[in-house]
Amino acid sequence: MALLELEEVRAGYGPTSVLHGVSLSVPEGQIVSLLGANGAGKTTTLRSITGGVHWTGDIRFAGRSLRRMHTEDVVRCGIAHVPEGRGILTELTVDENLKLGSHLRRDGAAVRKDYDRVFEYFPVLRERRGLSASTLSGGEQQMLALARAFLMKPRLMLLDEPSLGLAPLIVRAIFEIIRTINTEDRVAVLLVEQNARLALEMSSDAYVLEVGRVAVSGTSSELKGNDAVRRSYLGY
Amino acid sequence: MQELLQQIVSGIATGGIFASLALALVLIYNAMGLVNFAQGEMAMLATFVALALIDHGMNYWIAFPVTLVIAFAGGIAIERVVIRPVERAPILTLVIITLGLATLINGLAGFIFGYVPRAFPSPFSVQTVNILGALASYQDLGVIAVSGVVLLAIYMLLQHTTVGLTMRAAAHHPEASRLLGVHVSWMLALGWGLASAVGSVSGIMVAPILLLQPNMMQTIIIYAFAAAVLGGIESPLGAVVGGVIVGVTVNLAGVYLPFVGGDLQLAVALAIIVGVLVLKPNGLFGRPSVRRV
Repeated sequence: MALLELEEVRAGYGPTSVLHGVSLSVPEGQIVSLLGANGAGKTTTLRSITGGVHWTGDIRFAGRSLRRMHTEDVVRCGIAHVPEGRGILTELTVDENLKLGSHLRRDGAAVRKDYDRVFEYFPVLRERRGLSASTLSGGEQQMLALARAFLMKPRLMLLDEPSLGLAPLIVRAIFEIIRTINTEDRVAVLLVEQNARLALEMSSDAYVLEVGRVAVSGTSSELKGNDAVRRSYLGY
Repeated sequence: MQELLQQIVSGIATGGIFASLALALVLIYNAMGLVNFAQGEMAMLATFVALALIDHGMNYWIAFPVTLVIAFAGGIAIERVVIRPVERAPILTLVIITLGLATLINGLAGFIFGYVPRAFPSPFSVQTVNILGALASYQDLGVIAVSGVVLLAIYMLLQHTTVGLTMRAAAHHPEASRLLGVHVSWMLALGWGLASAVGSVSGIMVAPILLLQPNMMQTIIIYAFAAAVLGGIESPLGAVVGGVIVGVTVNLAGVYLPFVGGDLQLAVALAIIVGVLVLKPNGLFGRPSVRRV
């Protein structure tokens, strides 16, 4: 059974509807890519899952329907959502941002171990612990967002364009760590990306959205190998 | 020189009273960008509760924390019942609601307790003690100590506890906080509860000086506004520093400027508000706010 399932999800903002019936699933411990052009509804799909936008249809996480649940309760089920713009709390320090990631956990010893791992993945965060998060560069903020999501000890991460605005070298490093978290902790990932080539390399399955519908779906290697799909939807 | 020192100590004591109420204003302003015009009246009502407890034979130092707990619960109740249903309303609507709340609480207190000023006990004697050549009254020192302890407690709560961290997070970035599992709406309620409790300290401290009646806080809230604006309306530390500065300034102006005397002290506070807004709109500790339009 899939960890996350969306069934005919429709969603929008006020009178404007953005998703016209999206169905997809993320198996336990897998990375799934969600691709598509700007405005196709990728971000709205993620926002539907964590209750940031009103939706109809059904969304189930670990067998439980998320209908009518508030964002904070969805998150407490084990979903970490790194939103568009990364959701860094710039008024707070780096350390305080990390603490907000782990503040609901009661497994103190494991939390300390996870902090050690976070600082091993992102040494720069240890150096900047006491500084205001607003002083971090874009790449460092993305690292902080990912580190904070990891400290939530989720079963599923929703990542909204982790590569946006970052230098290729930093993108490489960040994706490497996403892969490490995925393999070592069996955290499933639903990855929204503009950079389709990179996303397909990482993921096992992929969905391509077009104006609020799933246009193509399949295993990542199928999509990578299909020239027609690549040209018309992925643009490379 | 000696008299100056005494006036400064006395001004710091008054400043502690202003600071408590100013901090209450800042807590709510931070949580929802709203100036709570009912803050003074909430403090006044809490002071009546304290007096009722003491009149029923409760020891002052038991009645004090009990009142804070009642004020805390009352603040939460007001947020849940009055503010929650209109949480997403435009800010002007909310401001009008707090003004209405102020009128309502004022009338309610008058209806229940009457308008005759009542003596309120002080646990501190008015005797003076000699500190480094300056005479300070136990009353002033006691007010400074109580305000100091309460303000320090709030500071520790906000800066060094998890619940304080989530309150600050919810105040600055509600959406991002929800995604981290913070119950933002409850944090707002908690902010109202804390503000109500801190504000009531100012009521209890000022009542022995001004006598307790429903309009007691109406000038104090102006001084508290001055303190909050001077410190930077978003800064808890600014509220405290602002409170002390306003307290000392107003006190010294009253004594040393013959044309101010006791009558124009409030005008000094208003001058501070206007002066700060003209010269340094973000106050001493406020950050300049940049808004994209």
